[in-house]
Amino acid sequence: MAETIGAILMDPPVMRRNLAADARKMRRIIAEDPEWSLAVVPLLTNLCLEHIVSNFEAKPMLDDLLPSHKAYVLEKLPPSLPLEVTANLISDEGYWKKCCMERWGLGDVTAYGNSWKRMFFERHLEIIIDLFIPDNTDPKTVLDMVPLCKNYVKKLSISQLLPPIKDPQKADDDDSSDTGSDSGFDGPSMDHFDFGILLDKLIYLEELHLVYGVKGCGMNFEWNLFEFTFRDCESLAKALKSCKTLRVLRIHQSKVDNEKCRLLVSYLLDHPSLQDLDLSHNLIGDRGARAVGKLLNRSRMRSLNVYDNQIRGAGAQALAYALAKNTSLLTLNLRLNRLGDEGGQAIAQALTKNQTLVSLHLGANQLTEPTAIALSQALVQNSTLRSINLSCNRLGVDGGKVLEEGMSHNGAVVDCDVRLTGIQQESEVCISQILRTNQSKTRKKQTQEPNIK
Amino acid sequence: MSQNGNVPQPADVPTPSVLSDNREERIAARRLRIVARNEAKQRQEQGEGSSKEVEKREDAKSQEQVDRSKLRIQRLQTDGTELVSNIQVAADARESFRRDELEEARRLRLGKLEAEAKSSLEKFEEISKRWTGARLREIPQELRDALNSQTQLCATLIEDKNKLINELQQELKVCDDRYVRDLKRQADEVDLMVERMEEQVKSLITTYREEIKEIQGSFDQEYNALMEGDLKKWEKLRKDRGDKEAESLSQRISRVEEFEALLQKLRVEDAEEYNMIKTKLETDVQVLQQQLQQMKATYQLNQEKLEYNFQVLKKRDEENTITKSQQKRKITRLQDVLNNLKIKLSNQEKQTREENQSQTEEYRRIMHQYKHMEKKKRRFAVMDAQKFEEVWRMNEEEVKALVGRALEIDRLIYQQQLGLDWSPPPLPFMQRSGPIRAQRQARSSALQTATSMLGRDVEEEEEEDDRKMDEEESPTTAATAEGKSGEAGVGTGSKAITTGSGTEKPRKVSQKTVKRLLELLCDEAGFLIENKLLKLLSPLEKTEQSLMKLDSIFSAMGIDNEEDIYQLAEFFVKFKQQQQQQQEEEEAGASGVSGPGDSVEGEDLIHPNDILMALKAFTAQHHRIRNSQAAQRAGESLVSCDVCEDVQYWESMARVISPTKLTVWTSLEKALEKYHTVLTDRSKLLVDTQKLRQQNSELKMLLHQYVNSRVNAELEIPPTQVIQIARNDVINNQSVTRTMKR
Repeated sequence: MAETIGAILMDPPVMRRNLAADARKMRRIIAEDPEWSLAVVPLLTNLCLEHIVSNFEAKPMLDDLLPSHKAYVLEKLPPSLPLEVTANLISDEGYWKKCCMERWGLGDVTAYGNSWKRMFFERHLEIIIDLFIPDNTDPKTVLDMVPLCKNYVKKLSISQLLPPIKDPQKADDDDSSDTGSDSGFDGPSMDHFDFGILLDKLIYLEELHLVYGVKGCGMNFEWNLFEFTFRDCESLAKALKSCKTLRVLRIHQSKVDNEKCRLLVSYLLDHPSLQDLDLSHNLIGDRGARAVGKLLNRSRMRSLNVYDNQIRGAGAQALAYALAKNTSLLTLNLRLNRLGDEGGQAIAQALTKNQTLVSLHLGANQLTEPTAIALSQALVQNSTLRSINLSCNRLGVDGGKVLEEGMSHNGAVVDCDVRLTGIQQESEVCISQILRTNQSKTRKKQTQEPNIK
Repeated sequence: MSQNGNVPQPADVPTPSVLSDNREERIAARRLRIVARNEAKQRQEQGEGSSKEVEKREDAKSQEQVDRSKLRIQRLQTDGTELVSNIQVAADARESFRRDELEEARRLRLGKLEAEAKSSLEKFEEISKRWTGARLREIPQELRDALNSQTQLCATLIEDKNKLINELQQELKVCDDRYVRDLKRQADEVDLMVERMEEQVKSLITTYREEIKEIQGSFDQEYNALMEGDLKKWEKLRKDRGDKEAESLSQRISRVEEFEALLQKLRVEDAEEYNMIKTKLETDVQVLQQQLQQMKATYQLNQEKLEYNFQVLKKRDEENTITKSQQKRKITRLQDVLNNLKIKLSNQEKQTREENQSQTEEYRRIMHQYKHMEKKKRRFAVMDAQKFEEVWRMNEEEVKALVGRALEIDRLIYQQQLGLDWSPPPLPFMQRSGPIRAQRQARSSALQTATSMLGRDVEEEEEEDDRKMDEEESPTTAATAEGKSGEAGVGTGSKAITTGSGTEKPRKVSQKTVKRLLELLCDEAGFLIENKLLKLLSPLEKTEQSLMKLDSIFSAMGIDNEEDIYQLAEFFVKFKQQQQQQQEEEEAGASGVSGPGDSVEGEDLIHPNDILMALKAFTAQHHRIRNSQAAQRAGESLVSCDVCEDVQYWESMARVISPTKLTVWTSLEKALEKYHTVLTDRSKLLVDTQKLRQQNSELKMLLHQYVNSRVNAELEIPPTQVIQIARNDVINNQSVTRTMKR
């Protein structure tokens, strides 16, 4: 059905000529067809252009045409043309919008820098990698895409990476998941797709989001579907090192433990462009945190997210030590770790020295009163921090009072989350009042600045 | 006005009051109060009625509304996000709590497990201890009891373990349940979150709309208020203007009347004045016309004068132009001439330069030719000398041969014809060969002299002895040799010549002094010798060294023959004498008279210190003499000096045969000539007799023929008889001649 529609789309004039035999032939105006013109014999240029369109696959010709003809051809080109022909030839957004619409329906193009072409290629490559099964799928399927899409892909968001041998989607159909899992266990390797063959070729890649796991496995859950092997880690780390343009790296829910974290960091040290590192929902402990702390001062990181890990006091101290010397980090998220007062105090002391950090999230970290005291002292001295989140810590009534006092000496913080911290209502109100005044102050500043400018 | 416009606030936004329960409201109220206070202050400062300020205030009003809306929206947003994030925070807290719990549980479980392990270990040890005890039992019942108790104990142990396992399984189940519950709750929470988000979005949308409406309303109000105020102002201004116009119109009318009256008056006055002025002016015109006439006349006159002047000037101008053109032409002509002259000059210069060049060239060529000629001349001179010598030698040889022949002939004549003894005359010239001049050249060079001088000290004695011996022997040997052979004589002769040439001039200076002088020179005039030479000389012997030195000194001083050396010596002696004389004069004036002539040929010829001065003086003098000599020598002809000697030489040759001998020869010749004539006669006669004999024999033959012919027989007288008779006669004749000859 789709093919017939494609054929009709591909060659509407032919269709019209065929249909010309019917009753429409007698009508002089056909309002519903915007292409309709009274001329029974089409113009030679139109015929030529239609011919170009119909033979575009064999003989692509676009740049030599006049602008109006080019627009006409682009409008008529079917989205089913092979990518080898169109990838580097057509830059018209309209065509790629057509392709995207046909393939995925409506999409949010703003997430792709308002470029339909980029959207098409990124999603296309993501799907290829998502469905890549090591040992079964030929790496050529990926590598063939590289020359076509390397100029357009800036962000890769891989939502799943399949382990070898077993294809869970097929397993859904074929069942026999147990045998698959068994064989997967016995298999020589559980390694996933090797990014080493891809990343150094994508010369404009800036963002990479990875999940070493299987999406939608349902009741076919097996632990080894979510295995991030050491070799995977190593190949990924090497690939990341070779990718010089990478700015954002996210590895979620991939069981990155201390060793893997250290390995990744050792390859990411002195990376020329890395700005944003997100290792959330992993198993990073103190040693991994120490490695990340080392990375902080050996790169130009602006944002570090390590929430939902297992960082304890020692790791937090290492991070605090790095933070005290750092001059580039803007955001630090340590939510859902086990820093404790030891780590909290260390971070608070680091805040007295740091002059760049803007946002700090310490939610759900078993912090108590001593940390509150240290933080209030830090807040008095620090003037760059604008947002601080202390929710879900048992600061207690006294901690709240101390924090209130610390906040009363600070003029920069505009957002302070103290929910579920067990502080008194009054101190909470007080803090929020201070926040309002700070907010209005900054707003005035912001309104004044453009006026001045 | 503006305040009135601002008063009706929207119903849903009440005016914030300071006493409100809401904190934000209180803050807003305070802010408003402050703003109002500030405005009041400004108003007081700037005074009322400033439209600008009003505008500003109005702007501030709308701005305030916008700010208020913004604040409200933000509040709403923060509240909303708080509401939404509350769920997350709660979940976080729960998660954190769960983790704490899990940790605690794990800790408890571990403790329990450890305790259990410890207790079971104890029990096990007990069991194993009992085994040893059981082994000691010998009574079967006791053993059975023991075994039973063992089994019981084991059962309790296993039970304990099973219990623990059950507990753990229970825990696991609880955990599973909890996980399912958590999942459910999380799903609920997510739903709730989504719901709240939607709600927030909705509420935000509504508030946005409201706020937009409100802001629009405030702006509208502001606009209306502004419009109203402006309209009122406009109306008032219009009215004012109308009043002002009416007033000005009435004023204008009154003024017009006034001005008309004034005009009438002025017109009358002006008419009168006009008439008066007209009459006056007419009279003036008449006077002026008269003046004009006069002026015209003068003008005519002046014009004519000027015309004449103009003509004259024109003429002059023409003349001037003519002369100018002439001058110009002249100038051009002169310029041409000048140019020509210049060209000529340059030509001339060029020519002269060329000439000069050619002449220098010619001069050079002539010089070259001259030199060439000189060379040629020298060459010819040499050639001539050579040729002369050759011719000389040839002739000499010829002459010598002739002399030899003559002597030979003389000898023959003497010995054969005259039968006398013959002695050859003295022939000194036969030993010589070549021209005389060549031998005169053999003048010994300075160096040779020097060598001889220096060599003398060694061979002096012998040589002098030899000479004495020679002088003693030479006359005897010469006498004997002259008698004996010509060759010896020739040898002495040559010796005499050489000695003669060697001691041509008498020497004023002895050879000893000369030698000393040379030695002195050798020592003192070392500066004339080149350093290089000195180095080269160092390995040689002393005499040779001094010789070489002398050579270089002589070459430097220009001394090149023996004479010069002697001259030098003489000069030195003279110099010395002069000096001595001077000294003596001085000394004579001072002390007295010392014996003169002691040092004429004294041991110290000249003081070494004076040698330099002496040398200087000598070279100056010597050069002068030499130059003059060279000039003289150039003028001398080579031939003239030799002619007399040559003549003498040749004549000596010619006089080999002495006049006495010649007389002998002439008389001998005469006798021989006579003898010759006799002989010739006799030879003639011999020829004649030969002829006659032949005729005779022929005739005899003929006769015989005739006699013997047959004809004769027939003849009466035979001829034979006749012949017989004739023959007898002939024989007679012959005998007669023969006798006569003898």
